[in-house]
Amino acid sequence: MAKKIIGIDLGTTNSAVAVMDKGELKILESHEGNRTTPSIAAYSKSGERLVGMSAKRQAVVNPKNTIFSVKRLIGRKFSDDEVKRDKDALPYEIRESSKGGVEVKMGDKWYTPEEVSAMILQKLKADAEARIGEKITDAVITVPAYFDDSQRQATKTAGEIAGLTVRRIINEPTAAALAYGLNSKKSEQVVVYDFGGGTFDVSVLEVDFDALGGDVKVLATGGDTHLGGDDFDARIIEHLVSEYKKQEGIDISKDPLALQRLKEAAERAKHELSTSMETEVNLPYITSDANGPKHFLLKLTRAKFEDLVRDLIDRSVALVQEAVTAPAPKGAGLAIADVDEIVLVGGQTRMPAIQEAVKKLFGKEPNKTINPDEVVALGAAAQGEIIAAKDDGRKTEGEVKDILLLDVTPLTLSLETLGGVATPMIQKNTTVPTSKTQVFSTAADNQTSVEIHIGQGERPMMADNKTLGRFILDGIPPSPRGIPQVEVTFDIDANGILNVSAKDKASGKSQSIHIEASTSLNKEEVERLKQEAAQHAAEDEKKRTLIEERNKAESVVYVAEKSIKENAEKIPAEVKTDIEEKIKKVHEVKEKDDVQAISAATQDLSAAMQKIGESLYNKDANKETGNEEKKEEGNTTNDTGTNNN
Amino acid sequence: MEEKEHIPQETDVSSDDTLKALEECGKQRDEYLDGWKRAKADLINYKKDEMSRMEHAVKFGNEAILYDMLAVLDSFDIGIATLEKNSDAHKGMTLIRMQCEDIMRRYGLMPIDAPPGTIFDPRRHEAIEEVSSDLPPGAITEEVKRGYELHGKVLRPSKVKIAKQS
Repeated sequence: MAKKIIGIDLGTTNSAVAVMDKGELKILESHEGNRTTPSIAAYSKSGERLVGMSAKRQAVVNPKNTIFSVKRLIGRKFSDDEVKRDKDALPYEIRESSKGGVEVKMGDKWYTPEEVSAMILQKLKADAEARIGEKITDAVITVPAYFDDSQRQATKTAGEIAGLTVRRIINEPTAAALAYGLNSKKSEQVVVYDFGGGTFDVSVLEVDFDALGGDVKVLATGGDTHLGGDDFDARIIEHLVSEYKKQEGIDISKDPLALQRLKEAAERAKHELSTSMETEVNLPYITSDANGPKHFLLKLTRAKFEDLVRDLIDRSVALVQEAVTAPAPKGAGLAIADVDEIVLVGGQTRMPAIQEAVKKLFGKEPNKTINPDEVVALGAAAQGEIIAAKDDGRKTEGEVKDILLLDVTPLTLSLETLGGVATPMIQKNTTVPTSKTQVFSTAADNQTSVEIHIGQGERPMMADNKTLGRFILDGIPPSPRGIPQVEVTFDIDANGILNVSAKDKASGKSQSIHIEASTSLNKEEVERLKQEAAQHAAEDEKKRTLIEERNKAESVVYVAEKSIKENAEKIPAEVKTDIEEKIKKVHEVKEKDDVQAISAATQDLSAAMQKIGESLYNKDANKETGNEEKKEEGNTTNDTGTNNN
Repeated sequence: MEEKEHIPQETDVSSDDTLKALEECGKQRDEYLDGWKRAKADLINYKKDEMSRMEHAVKFGNEAILYDMLAVLDSFDIGIATLEKNSDAHKGMTLIRMQCEDIMRRYGLMPIDAPPGTIFDPRRHEAIEEVSSDLPPGAITEEVKRGYELHGKVLRPSKVKIAKQS
């Protein structure tokens, strides 16, 4: 079996793992069932080592032994400005290692950032192994494009400590571009706009396409490590607090419980405004004053939200512009028009206003179809598959699937049933070879033969489709309509040859027909038939409903006539006359085109027929026998009766 | 004699061709058989995968709505706490809350146990504060917000206060 190489997006806050499975890239869920894992390790108060979600859940009460954001420290020197700055903001202890690097304290021991990252990677590896049910030895890990050699090397070391052979360290923006397959098209300039929870990164890439799969070069990077989706949440909270103050004169920002609820509500509102134009923040019993409990109810529109964060979006756009147009080394020195593709990464890019702003800047639609929280891990897995395929001397899985090309039926293949309806047997776009069997019945009493009329096309009426062939199955023993069982099988082989057979289950008699080239309509013909179907959809639907109503009417009339005949003596005369009149009415309207009239007449008849049952039961009750129930026959509507020959 | 010599030569040539063709056929047969077996195996595996995906979808299909409904239960809790105990309003609200939770339980939602004295477990609880207490260090002293599980998956951990190391 081919070896799997996983892709790991080792993030500052959260990490994700993906793999190529059966030709598809997919995220591997954590043991806890989440698609991302917090990049946090801790030494709990009970002396247990915790990683991921469980480490996060005790962070508040165990800040000194809970290590987060270790990515900010990995591969750095203790004397770096960034370390100095972060040291004050991070609640755990940090010291200089003997080699001038950084060490963090967890429990009684000092660890290097590589060791802490390794703990996270170890959990990711173990969870991934549990998901795919096999041992994982190799991985591709992503790092920010601005990481220097020492930071990359340290990340690689972390992987090795975790028991992984790190086959490659790739840039996060490169991974995102890979996930969209941008390396396999042509040489082009790609901008990756990454708006995460806490940081904003922009990268300008140059993809050099060649037969070997393309080489990706980073031309420029930019961004702001203190601009992220969390700022958007904060703006909403600020707005809600100030609005509430205006309304009620109460400052809820001082109430920690209320503020916590507000935070959760703000995040939810932000998510909702990505898909709807308006949302309601509804927090009953948010606080209370001398007059009793107070509630919070406020509408927030998308337009208002966009107003609140406009400057943040504008700032990100300015940073993009700088990274693309500024001369090296600050930027890539390109013109905006030189950019061929834009890729959106990070949850905040789900916001429509951001997508619009990016689109406006570049004048083209950005790539945004892949989940922006997962695109980096998926791209790393794509790189992993490329390496695994090279190792095994095979093609990558996505390509392997395409070697054996299986055809599809371009149009629906149907059978004509009562009233000229085309009953689909094999739907269009079904992959062949395939077969389908369905049992049909007769439409009239004592019908001894059925015509099997095979057609091709999307129209609901057979007359509007193309006839492929027809044959007659006879020798069906005479019986009431709906009783005979005719089994019809449509079978298409790999060459598109259609074989239709019909068999009467009672007599065992069968007939069949071969139709060559059922799938070999030329392109124009297929298009024409599809277009016709679309054009006539409404009118066809009307026709189909009409026929269905007619069939239903016929069926009800049939049952009514049969009931009257069989119970002639037991039915009171007035009931009989009433039903006969209604049957007459159904016959009158049936051949006209008024669907509603047919439906109404049929319903009237059905209602009148209930009186038969009532009078029969009453009679039985009067007789006080009460033990012989007359079972109604033929009370099913058999609307799939084959065409009456 | 000449003819006789020719015959074996001819059969040699044709048997060579036949052998070659046969060999080719054999190779193709193996290839096709392998492809066919793989296709069948792929389908069987796909069905298995699909089955577990379906199971998962059925089990967790309601996850998002159940999660969102937790906010309603929270509001009930806060509302109930503001009412006078044993008053009609208190009883009524408590019953409606119970009704809501019962419906959610029918879809697999289970409250997480976190009574005072239980040892804090970060897999199911989230500590929000450390407080002085007579309870042993690390024990839960108060459940601030109830946590819930859905078929064994923590939907929301119980938010708890825990006892400080004295």
